[in-house]
Formats: sequence, C-alpha cells, structure tokens
Amino acid sequence: MIQPLSGIQNTVAALDAERTRLDVISENIANANTTHGLDGKPYQRKVVVFESALQQAIGAGGNASLTPQLRVARIDKDNRPPVQIYAPGNPEADERGMVSTPNINVHEEMADLINASRAFEANLAVVKNEKSMAMQTLSIGKH
Amino acid sequence: MSPLSAIPQATYNFGNMPGMDAMRPNTLPTPEIQAPTPLDQPGTVTPGQPSSDSFGSVLGKLISDVNTKQTTATAAVDGLQSGQAVPLHQAVIAMEEANVSFQLMVEVRNKLLDSYQELMRMQV
Repeated sequence: MIQPLSGIQNTVAALDAERTRLDVISENIANANTTHGLDGKPYQRKVVVFESALQQAIGAGGNASLTPQLRVARIDKDNRPPVQIYAPGNPEADERGMVSTPNINVHEEMADLINASRAFEANLAVVKNEKSMAMQTLSIGKH
Repeated sequence: MSPLSAIPQATYNFGNMPGMDAMRPNTLPTPEIQAPTPLDQPGTVTPGQPSSDSFGSVLGKLISDVNTKQTTATAAVDGLQSGQAVPLHQAVIAMEEANVSFQLMVEVRNKLLDSYQELMRMQV
C-alpha cells in the first residue's frame, strides 16, 4: 500500500488521544455541579492517562516495523475529596446543612481545555505541513 | 552523466549545522523513526524480459492502491454522515490521503503521456 503521507500515523494516534482528552474535560465541565452521580455520590473528576505503545507500522519499502505511538492508557478518577459547601436548602444537604459537590474547579478545567485544544491544533499543523510537503514534492519539475 | 547530478551537493543537512548540538536536548530517547531507504541503484534492470513485477503490474498496483484509499475515505465520510462514531479528523485525514495518492497517480500519468508524446514527435 502506498503511504503518501508517511509520517502521519503517529499524528493520527495523537489526534485520537487528544480528542478523548477533550471529551473527558467536557464531561468534567458538564458535571461540575452534579451532586448526585450514578453511584449516588457527587461526581468525581476524571483524568486521562496517556501512554506510548508500540504499534505495527508499515515503513519504507513495505517492511513492517514497530513504532511507538501515543494512546489513551486509561481514564482514571481524581481522588481529591468532594468540596463541602453550606446549603441547608439543598435537598442533598446532610443534617448539618452541608452538601458534597464535585471536586472540580472549572478554572482548572478551562486551563486543561486550552492545553488539550492547543495540542490538538499542533498535531493538525503537522498534518497540514505533511500534506503541503507532499503536494510541493509532487510539483517538482513543473513549470 | 545524470542530468540531476548537481542536486546532492545542493541539499543541505540541517541536522549537522554548527551550534545545533546545544539546542538538542540530550535526555530524549533515540528516535525509532528510520530514515528512508535509498532507491536501488540503476543498472540492475535487464530490458527485454519482464520481471515478476513488470511495469504494468506496478502501475496496476498503484492504481488499485489509490482506489483503496478512495474507498477508505468514502467509507469514513459515509460513516461520519450516517452518524457513526467516526472521529472527524480521521475522515478528513483519509480524504487528504486519498487526495495526495490521486495527485501522485495523476503525476505519473502525466509523465507517461509526456514521454509518449515526446517520442511521437521524434524525427526519424
């Protein structure tokens, strides 16, 4: 199989991983006020853990080789305790009037969101560059 | 003499520029990315007897590869449009790969046609 954009498999894997990270961040932001999660407890912040894994890649000349590629290892929970706020009118409040709210700081999530979207953008720039290099190479000898 | 023999002298090796070592972090692991293997030296092809991969079969393989790329891109875009969980970037990158492969095929075809017409114009 011809590989016109040869170095791109790593970038595609990184784009997949960053996409997952963006999805998890958006889930965190969406649930920043969820006091009653699926397990009855306040929502716990999720964190994406990346890892580098060997992937079979077809290199130059058609020979297969193993190249390290980024992928999502797991999606873990942030074990910081829930934030206690005093809201006696809330139906979720305990006998002391305290409500456990998720351990999510929206500012922190926004910083992560910027980070992840810039990383995505950087990988897109690699794709764009790779494509323009291929197209320019194809125009060698044109006048 | 090769008509493009002056080109190797003109290609700079940016990796060996003086002062680059200071900018290069030495904690990075050695990269597994391999340099492309150079093409076989000319002169080994004996004309007259078609080898196992003749020019026609190589060209046919190129065209079928391009066709496969186009089919993959179409499948990705179809999946995206029919609401399957195909990530947007994968569809777009598949389209770009198909586009570049197609351009490569068109360039090969143009070169073939050019040389054919050049031959046809030749005075005997």
